[in-house]
This record gives sequence, C-alpha cells and structure tokens, in this order.
Amino acid sequence: MRRGTEIERLYDDHASSLFAFLLNFTRNESDTRDLLQEIFVKIAREPQLLENLREERAFLIRLAHNSAIDLIRRRDTRDRTKQNFAAERISAFAPANDPDVAFFRNELSMALGELPEEQRSVVHLKLWEGWTFDAIAEALEISPNTAASRYRYGLDKLRERLRPVYREITNAE
Amino acid sequence: MQNDETEKFERLLKRQQLRQVPADWREEVLSAAKEAQSARRSPVKNRSFLSALNDRVTSLLWPHPVAWAGLAAVWIFIFALNFSIRDKAPAMAEKTPPPSPTVVAELRQQQRLYAELLGANDSVDADRPKIFVPRPHSERVDILTV
Repeated sequence: MRRGTEIERLYDDHASSLFAFLLNFTRNESDTRDLLQEIFVKIAREPQLLENLREERAFLIRLAHNSAIDLIRRRDTRDRTKQNFAAERISAFAPANDPDVAFFRNELSMALGELPEEQRSVVHLKLWEGWTFDAIAEALEISPNTAASRYRYGLDKLRERLRPVYREITNAE
Repeated sequence: MQNDETEKFERLLKRQQLRQVPADWREEVLSAAKEAQSARRSPVKNRSFLSALNDRVTSLLWPHPVAWAGLAAVWIFIFALNFSIRDKAPAMAEKTPPPSPTVVAELRQQQRLYAELLGANDSVDADRPKIFVPRPHSERVDILTV
C-alpha cells in the first residue's frame, strides 16, 4: 500500500481518532475541522515536533486538546452559549440502523455534551481510545489520580443520566 | 454488584461506534498542510532574522504563549523597577550642593569649641607643626631648673 508523504501517513493513522476526540470535545463540526487542519498545518510547519516521540497519538491528542482549549478561551460567553445550543444535535457516534441503538447513541451523545469538558475528554480517551490513566494524564497534562477521579465522576453522571435507556437496552439484550 | 453494573455499562459504552472523519476533509486538510510545508521550505533563505526568531520563540513557548508572555512581562517590570531605584540613589547624592565656605568655617569653629570643652587643646595644637630651635645644652639646663 502506498503511504504517500509523511504528513499523509500521519493523517491516515490518526485523523479518525483526532476527529472523534475533537468532535466530542468541541461539540461542533466546523470547529473540529478547523482544529484538525490547524494541527496538521502546525506539524507541516514544524516537523521537528514529531522527532524522538514515543507515542505519536498521545502527542497529537495533547496538541488537539490544547488547541481546543485555546479555541474555547478565545470565544466569548455569548458565542459559547450559542455553540452549546447548536451542539445538542451534534453526535460523535456513527448512525445505527437499529432504532434502539440509534436512540441510545443519541441519548449518550447528549449526556456526554452535559459533562464538563475536562471529564468528557478523560471519558473519551478511556472508553474509546482504551488508554490507561497514566497515558491520559500525560496527554492532558494532569495527574493520574485526577484523570481517574474525572473518569469516575463522568461515568457516574452518564450512568445516572442514561439509567432508564440503559435498562431498556440491557433487558432487550 | 455495583462494580458489575459499572463494568457492564462501560462495555456497553465502548461498543458504541464513533463517527469516521468525513472523507472530503482529507484533501482539504492535507492541501493546507502541504501549502504550509512548501511555504516553510521556499522562503527559508529570504526569511528575516526576526521572523525566524519569532517562529523559534513561538514553538518554544507553545502551548501557553500568553502565560509565558505574562511571566516575562512581570520579570521585565521587576528588573525595570530594580534599575530605576538603583539609578536614583547616586543621582540624589550628586544633586546635593557642596557646603558653602561659611558653613565649613562654622563647622570648624564648632569642632574647635568642642575640643576645648573636652580639654583637648593639645590635640588641636598637635596638628600645628612644631618649630624646633636648636639651643646649646647649657640653656636647656636652665629651663629645667626654672
């Protein structure tokens, strides 16, 4: 398989993960696209950033996280409120044919949107990237204990919020 | 029981498939990246020293340039304050006018009076050079007998 240039290889290897992480974090598709582009432009300009890296994915997620935080800080409160309103319909999950699964994913997406950003990013990396708390801590520049407690709080909130739907799904299974 | 439920719930969440990055984004993102890459390569020789320095500093300070800039500003302020205080002290000393001759004479007079009050006239005289007049031994004996 032709891998193309280094930047193409990076895109093919990591863009999906970065996309899901950023979409879950920003809850906005156009922001996600801007941030994804910003990350790859940055790497193209400064290829030395990737030299001597142990974990490319971890570094890129850290880059994505920091860029997303910068973007949120640049926005004023009014814009953010508008953005949250629009974000209610944005889903980070693939569409499903089964109506029950589709309903659950929709509810899960909304429940994730209600979590604070810092909990949401930890929950995302733990559940859908399968990272350890140490890896999450390193990427998000927090302590492993903080990562673990954010995950626990986030998961508890999701479970509470999704309890009725979750019961229906498990009973159906 | 609680742990079982948590694990079940985690497994259910993990099973939910995430959306894939839209296919048309690849070309858009990569063309922007390649453009940045070629812009970086071509003007390297023509780039001014300042822009190169700016790039270097930006990459060094990333991801919190504002925080670093704030810290630098605080240090600059502290240094400026320090230098301005240090410069002021000798300037004030230089600005003080030298004492007038009257004041000097007055001070000497006071010093002399003070010395007299303490009974230290000798010390005042000691400052003056003594005139030694050599005399014959016989005369010196006279003085002693008197």
